Amino acid sequence: MKKIVNVLVLTGDGINCEEETALAFKEEGAVSKIVHIADLIAHPEQLHEAQILALPGGFSFGDELGSGQVLALKLRHALGAELKKFVDSGKLVIGICNGFQALVRLGLLPKPFQERTMSLTHNRQGHFLDKWVSLEVPPSACLWTKALQEKTIQLPIRHGEGKIVFAGDEASQQLIYETLQFNGQIALRYREDVNGSYGRIAGICDQEGRIFGLMPHPEAATSNWLLPSGAQKNDGKGLAALIFKSGIDYCEKHL
Amino acid sequence: MKILTRLEIFPNTYHLEDQKVQEENLKIWFKKYMDISLEHIWEIKTFLIETSRTIDSFSIYAQEVFTDSVMETLVSSNDVEQKKVYEWLKLRGFKNPQVIDIGFRPGVTDNSAHAALEALKLIPALRSEEIKVSSGMMFLVEGDSLTSEHLIKMANEKLANNLLHKVSIVPLTARMADLKFPSVDIQAAPSKMIDLQVDHNTLMKMNHDNCWALSADELAHIKRHYEDIERNPTDVEMEIIAQSWSEHCKHKIFSSEITYSEAENLPEGVKRLGDLNIQGIFKSYIKAATKRIQEERNLPWLISVFHDNAGIVRFDDKVDVCIKVETHNSPSALDPYGGSLTGILGVNRDIYGVGLGARPIANTNVFCLAENDYFKENQIDLPLLLKNPDRIKEGVHLGVQDGGNKSGIPTVNGAFVFDRDYVGKPLVYCGTIGVMPQRENEAPTCDKGQRPGDLIVMAGGRIGKDGIHGATFSSMELVDGVPSSVVQIGDPITQKRLGDFLIEARKRALFNSVTDNGAGGVSSSIGEMAQKTNGAVVHLDQALVKYPGLSPYELMVSESQERMTFSVEKEKKDAFMKLAEERGVEASVVGEFTDSGFLHVRYNNEVVANLSMHFLHESLIPMKLAANFDPTKASAHWIKKSVSKFKLPETHYEEVLFTLLRSPNVRSHEHLVRRYDHEVKGATIVKPYTGTAEAGFSAPSDAGVVWMKPHGGNADNALAISCGINPKISAYDSYAMAVYAVDEAVRNAVCTGADPDEMVLVDNYCWPDPIPSAKNPDAELKLSHLVRSSAALYDISVDYGMPFVSGKDSMKNDFIGKTKSDETVKISVPPTLLVTAMGRVPSLQCVTTSEVKKAGDKLYLIGSDLRNFRSAFEVELQFDYQVSYPLPALDTKKQLSLYRIIHQAMKEKLINSAHDISDGGLLVALAEKLMGTQFGCKLTAQDLSAEERFAFYFNEGPGRMIVSVPAEASLKFENLFAGHDLRNLGEVTETGTIISEDFAISGSECLKNYKYLAGKSV
Repeated sequence: MKKIVNVLVLTGDGINCEEETALAFKEEGAVSKIVHIADLIAHPEQLHEAQILALPGGFSFGDELGSGQVLALKLRHALGAELKKFVDSGKLVIGICNGFQALVRLGLLPKPFQERTMSLTHNRQGHFLDKWVSLEVPPSACLWTKALQEKTIQLPIRHGEGKIVFAGDEASQQLIYETLQFNGQIALRYREDVNGSYGRIAGICDQEGRIFGLMPHPEAATSNWLLPSGAQKNDGKGLAALIFKSGIDYCEKHL
Repeated sequence: MKILTRLEIFPNTYHLEDQKVQEENLKIWFKKYMDISLEHIWEIKTFLIETSRTIDSFSIYAQEVFTDSVMETLVSSNDVEQKKVYEWLKLRGFKNPQVIDIGFRPGVTDNSAHAALEALKLIPALRSEEIKVSSGMMFLVEGDSLTSEHLIKMANEKLANNLLHKVSIVPLTARMADLKFPSVDIQAAPSKMIDLQVDHNTLMKMNHDNCWALSADELAHIKRHYEDIERNPTDVEMEIIAQSWSEHCKHKIFSSEITYSEAENLPEGVKRLGDLNIQGIFKSYIKAATKRIQEERNLPWLISVFHDNAGIVRFDDKVDVCIKVETHNSPSALDPYGGSLTGILGVNRDIYGVGLGARPIANTNVFCLAENDYFKENQIDLPLLLKNPDRIKEGVHLGVQDGGNKSGIPTVNGAFVFDRDYVGKPLVYCGTIGVMPQRENEAPTCDKGQRPGDLIVMAGGRIGKDGIHGATFSSMELVDGVPSSVVQIGDPITQKRLGDFLIEARKRALFNSVTDNGAGGVSSSIGEMAQKTNGAVVHLDQALVKYPGLSPYELMVSESQERMTFSVEKEKKDAFMKLAEERGVEASVVGEFTDSGFLHVRYNNEVVANLSMHFLHESLIPMKLAANFDPTKASAHWIKKSVSKFKLPETHYEEVLFTLLRSPNVRSHEHLVRRYDHEVKGATIVKPYTGTAEAGFSAPSDAGVVWMKPHGGNADNALAISCGINPKISAYDSYAMAVYAVDEAVRNAVCTGADPDEMVLVDNYCWPDPIPSAKNPDAELKLSHLVRSSAALYDISVDYGMPFVSGKDSMKNDFIGKTKSDETVKISVPPTLLVTAMGRVPSLQCVTTSEVKKAGDKLYLIGSDLRNFRSAFEVELQFDYQVSYPLPALDTKKQLSLYRIIHQAMKEKLINSAHDISDGGLLVALAEKLMGTQFGCKLTAQDLSAEERFAFYFNEGPGRMIVSVPAEASLKFENLFAGHDLRNLGEVTETGTIISEDFAISGSECLKNYKYLAGKSV
């Protein structure tokens, strides 16, 4: 008998993509529970019942003061210790779009609970963009992309602040980039420069590969009906579903 | 003692020299529109923080809250050392920077400040501090001989809106000095009695001064009522009456009695209606059509029409679907961003407020705008006071972008329509589709159930002066310390919380009725809900306010946004309020529903209104109006000079095609549409643009198709949402205009796979004022257009069997102003009717997109080839070409059977692609089908003469589309269409070129022309 994998999908304060994120996990066999951030703060023990924490996309706090900034503040001050416990126990976290921005501002990526070395800022175009892009999935430590590595995948990006920048001067930025590269933390890369992101990075993970943040939206590409070209539309399952499946598979085996 | 701190967020050392695209775009803007050359511009976000005491380590907290540690640093008025800013400016190349400092006026919705305050309160040490925040922008600029007049003008023309913002031009060194928090400082005026026993002129003056906008007949009616009850009205009562009877709330023109006549001689083909006596347009045409269709077709899926905030239909086995489309034109003319933002949030609330509450799943938006280039190229001076139309375009676009994206609702369909006559009043249509469970907690979700004794609870945003008498802004001066009441900025995050809360509360059955507070505020929301119970008691002092000092009448009629009114059973109050608090939603009990027959309003226990429900809602007698259709009696156009057009290059079809592809109504708006999220919720199957990855998914789609599965519906079911709008036809024939609009909407939906037998319509009229006055000499003609287009709606919807389920009208879309030469001009919008169609796509297997898919497929024109007409409307706008009567007509009964056959063919997989032929005609549609792919086609027109060919390529008319069909299925396909107009256009090829006897046009050239605005900021 397969183990039940519980996914806690966060919502509230302007998070928008909780339903489709929960559905993407559910379709791959997990039990998804959408939990309002206020309820999680009131009952943090819920967090530990889950093996996966998902921070969905959206416009938490209207993106005011910087995307994900206020959500990160809230998580840090209200749930910081619980999150540390969750991460330290080897559980999985995925942050998509605004969720990724919050993970970065929270300091969970690229290296949990260390001084921040990266940020996500305004696209070079200076505005929000909804567009399907082609991505390469490089070999990496990321256990979320295990089934996709060395493949290419099409996903929609829907963000205004998806450009990855690193801290410090050029040399320092280069060093951070090379370290991520060396550690296998670059989990997803745009095939073309779509927003000015450093090294065309679209998603990164922590060194262990358990915490994964990405700007594109895999939960909006789990069925071929959602693909952007008329000729591609059919009943098939989208490649992006493998991201959710990989996370669940890992939990079944290891947690 | 108040402590004020100004914070400025600068990039840190490593990002000092980053140039933002916005800054480059501003330079281009100032050069293009104001002929001001800027060498440097730097935009810095600022905050003003007021605390009640000095807080230790505040700068550390501020650093954490306001900056991103990797990219930004904070400059504070508390910093002893201010020199670093001068160093940074030097690094950015500034030698002599000047400062434009922009802050909000008191009381204006300030979303950044709200978020900042909430964020500050997350810091444990600040939780119990008294803190106020206001946000702003500082522009550091440098250019040749810039005076402070230049700077003020730059701010007013582009950077700020004088109605919302306070602009200061200060020396760089002085910007941190003399800080002043924008506090609201007003006093409430007590409620007073209004003496109606005065002479006519005094009464009319009071009407004007108080902005009641009541007619002389209505005033007399009110006077009689108060004579009968032997007292005078209170100011609150007069405001409630004025608002309830406003055109906006009461739709008086749509319910008026109209005598319609028409001229002897009408142009060939223009339909005669004969003399008519119409007992209300809404009742006689719109509602009557739906009623008749309901009788003829017996539609079990028509759940709720017209009486609620939106129409509800059952297009799924599991969930019900509702739809509503609104307009927000006047607010968008005053503040384009705030106007369209509140437009989209407002229509979302209509969906939240339908039945017991639905969840919005998709937005639509249609803009009717003018463009600056047109006036510039033709050297036409715009009336003073009119905003630059390009700034309106930027603003309304950004408003819809923020409204939809931040609410997590995909914008799946829309249109941009251009006409010079929208320069006075832009039209901003915002639509929303929602889903709700069919039943929940053992009751149907579509029924509202407020009862006498239930509490009235208002939740969401607080009440301020926003939107009180917005329409009469022009006579008001803006004074410091007095909140601007005429414009509103939406607050998407407050609304998102309210909406999420509402759905949760509905699932737990914590309320039994709800409606939104839109136009008319408390007066209209509680007033509407109280009609069902026949009365209410309201305690205005219990309403939550943004700031003290609001008078009772202001509390009653304020249109402050993001509010909804709930009916809550007394025993559920605590649970309701508790959930609201947990979800960060402010709510307060403001009264109780009764069955007393009166709307009874109190303020600090004093009665300020006690209005008979019957008098308020049922006693008004319909207006009597005359309509005369005589096109020769139209007033002269406000633009007197003739406008230059290109010489028609006759047989150079390629040149005509490229010009059309670049023309405003045809060209791509992808660079703007892609700034809307069109697929959040993971359910958008057909997106606004389609095609191949290689061509950048750039071909236009016909409709948005939304999958029901992610919304709790069937896995194999979807909805198509589309629109039709043809205001350019109004000048020729307003009856035909409406027919074309309905057919276009329907056809677009059918093209994507919708079943014509499961389709509903929504009508949205935006009209020039049809009420006669000295300023409006051709009102009878305008009213005749209203009659004619409504008659057309009736005819076509009955023939198509598609009921109207919701609709709205906006009747005063005119601008009156002075030109430079002190001439008064009046600019009226063309009669504009938007029709939105929502159809069921019964299986995903029916989903069809517009672009061709395979070489060897056969291309067909379905519908007339129009060779015998002269109806190239878009050609007429660009070239010296004249459309002539008769216009192509539509055999609506036959057309419905055609749509049924098309749908059948889609079910049988006989159609690989389908695209409607609309603006620009057949060649444009063909280019659109091909240019988003690597394919081309061989087009045959050999049987047509040269003159016929021009007509064939460029004429426009209803009922037409181009489809591609697998070669092996073509015989079966052709047989299906026996007896209908079907023309084999040729074959899809691998060449990427459209080749005919007349030309060889490359698809990539077409795409380049079509997308020539790509990368532009407007």
